[in-house]
Amino acid sequence: MKLIRRKRNMALITMTPLVDVMMILLVFFMVTSSYLDLDMVPMVQSKSNGGAASTDPAPTLLIRITADGAARLRGQALTLQSLTAALQNQPRARVLILPSGGSNVQGLVSAIEIATKAGAKNLRVVRLEAPE
Amino acid sequence: MKLKRRRRPPPQETIVSLIDVMFFLLVFFMLVGRMDATAPFEVSPPVSTTGETLPKGGTTIAVAQNGTLALNGKAIGRPALLARIADMLAQNPGLFVRINAHAEARLTKLLPLVTALEQAGVGDVVLVVTPNPA
Repeated sequence: MKLIRRKRNMALITMTPLVDVMMILLVFFMVTSSYLDLDMVPMVQSKSNGGAASTDPAPTLLIRITADGAARLRGQALTLQSLTAALQNQPRARVLILPSGGSNVQGLVSAIEIATKAGAKNLRVVRLEAPE
Repeated sequence: MKLKRRRRPPPQETIVSLIDVMFFLLVFFMLVGRMDATAPFEVSPPVSTTGETLPKGGTTIAVAQNGTLALNGKAIGRPALLARIADMLAQNPGLFVRINAHAEARLTKLLPLVTALEQAGVGDVVLVVTPNPA
C-alpha cells in the first residue's frame, strides 16, 4: 500500500514585521542625519613645514581683518584682483592674515577663501591670545 | 430568485515592491546623510567655496554664536573640553578635531581655542565650512 503524503501548504512568511522595522530605520536615518554639504579649512596641520617657512626670507603680505570683518591689504579693501596682482609681483610671498579679535568667523573664512583663490601657497593666520 | 454573490478572496497586495522601494530609500538616506552628533545650539557654518572635502570620523567641537562650546553634541566648559581632548589624545595620538563654529562667532572664541588644541598636541584641526548656505 502506498501512502500518499498530502502536500501541505507552505507556511507563509509574513513580511509585515520586516516592513515595520525597515520603516522605523528609514524614519530614524531621515531624522537623525544632517544633509548639509560640509567642507573644511585646515587650521593646524601636523604635516606642514612650518619650521622651514619661518627661516625663509620670502616677503610677507599682511592681510588685516578689521573688527567689522572686512579684510584689508595695504590699507585697501582686499579683493581677489589686488591680492592676485600683489602675488604676481612676489610669487614666493608669505601671506599672513592678522585678524582682529572682534571679527567673526565668516570674515576670517572669507579672507582665507580670497587668498586661496589668488593662489597663495604659504598662508598663515596669526592667532592672538585673547583674555577669556 | 436570490443571487448569492460568491465571496472572492481579497486580492493579494504585493508588499514586495513596497519593501524594495523602502529599502532603496533607506540605503539612500544612510549614504547621503551624516550621522554626526548635533550641537545643542544653533550652528550655521561659514560659507567658503574653496574648502576641501571633510573626511568622516574624528571628534567635533561646536562653537555657538555666543561662544558656548560643545564636544560631540554635549555642551561643555572650556577646561573640561581641553581635559577631554587630552584624554582622547592619550588614546589616539592622531586625533582629528574639527571645529564647527557659527559664522557669526567672534574670533576671540575660536583662535585661542585652536592655539590651546595645538599646544595640547592635536596635530589635525580643521574648521568646518559649507560651500552653499542652507
